[in-house]
Amino acid sequence: MSDDQPSDALARLAERLDKARAQDREKPVGNGDNAGQQLALGIGFRIGIEFVVAIVVAVGLGWAFDRVLGTKPFAMIAMFFLGVATGMLNVYRAITGQGAAVGFRRPRGK
Amino acid sequence: MALELHPLEQFKIEPLIPLHIGGLDVSYTNSALFMTVAVVLITALLVLGTKRGALVPGRWQSVAEMSYEFVADMVDTNAGHGAEPYFPFVFTLFMFVLFANFLGLIPYSFTVTSHIIVTFALAATVFIGVTIIGFVKHGAHFLRLFVPEGVPMVLLLLLVPIELLSYFIRPFTLSIRLFANMLAGHTMLAIFGGFAASVGLLAIFPVALDVAILALEVLVAALQAYVFAILTCLYLRDALHLH
Repeated sequence: MSDDQPSDALARLAERLDKARAQDREKPVGNGDNAGQQLALGIGFRIGIEFVVAIVVAVGLGWAFDRVLGTKPFAMIAMFFLGVATGMLNVYRAITGQGAAVGFRRPRGK
Repeated sequence: MALELHPLEQFKIEPLIPLHIGGLDVSYTNSALFMTVAVVLITALLVLGTKRGALVPGRWQSVAEMSYEFVADMVDTNAGHGAEPYFPFVFTLFMFVLFANFLGLIPYSFTVTSHIIVTFALAATVFIGVTIIGFVKHGAHFLRLFVPEGVPMVLLLLLVPIELLSYFIRPFTLSIRLFANMLAGHTMLAIFGGFAASVGLLAIFPVALDVAILALEVLVAALQAYVFAILTCLYLRDALHLH
């Protein structure tokens, strides 16, 4: 009795390990949005950056296009609106938990 | 009473060993010094920690193994299968940002990641690398990333530029997020520290606040390193699996 106890315990441990590993495999692929979920400040910061950076980069690109193509100020204006749209889309993606993924698509068959 | 506040002085880059090569200023600065310290500490932790290779790890080996497993797990769950070859890169990136953030919290030290050029260099490396990987793995097919599925032709004219733009702002959001968090936190600490120096006995209040902010900063330092690494993993997943 006393010498089959350790092997018994080991068997139970193996069982638990197998179960835990199986659970681990079933775990869905994360999308990075659990990062910083505890910190409301962090979320606010992230959303703000997402929105502002999109507009700033778009306007910067528009300004560069204008300089190269000599279409001042139309590319900048067009890119501003594009930037706002991108910012909105990214904020929407960030808060609905689709990650920062570009070209997000739903898994097939859904 | 004049308030002596210089909250931004801590971010000043000073050359320690002036060095000029062909008109380029490549001086060894305090920023470079702390990068070196971070790299030396990481190497020391991992090499010395795992040197004994005990079956039951001691404290240092435990820390080394835990950080390894933490990142390995992160890469596995977020970048998906086939991302294992990129684990060393993500691990290096995570450890470097983590150590740079933590080192910056030590009083009188310098926060490498509070400079946007540093974080942007890291983010641009990730961005360019991921784009190259995407094209190598999928060729021109990689461009499908920018074409959402099941969308009418007319809308595509609008959506493709939006997707393109949101792809190209990645290095900017990635770098600005880390840099802004570090800059804001350290500036806040310095401002309250400056208050404390100028209000005499009442200093206990700003100092108490500083202690609380410092605790928050420890969390932010770890969290931002984590976010940086996990977003790298997500971008890698895009390039590897195209959804």
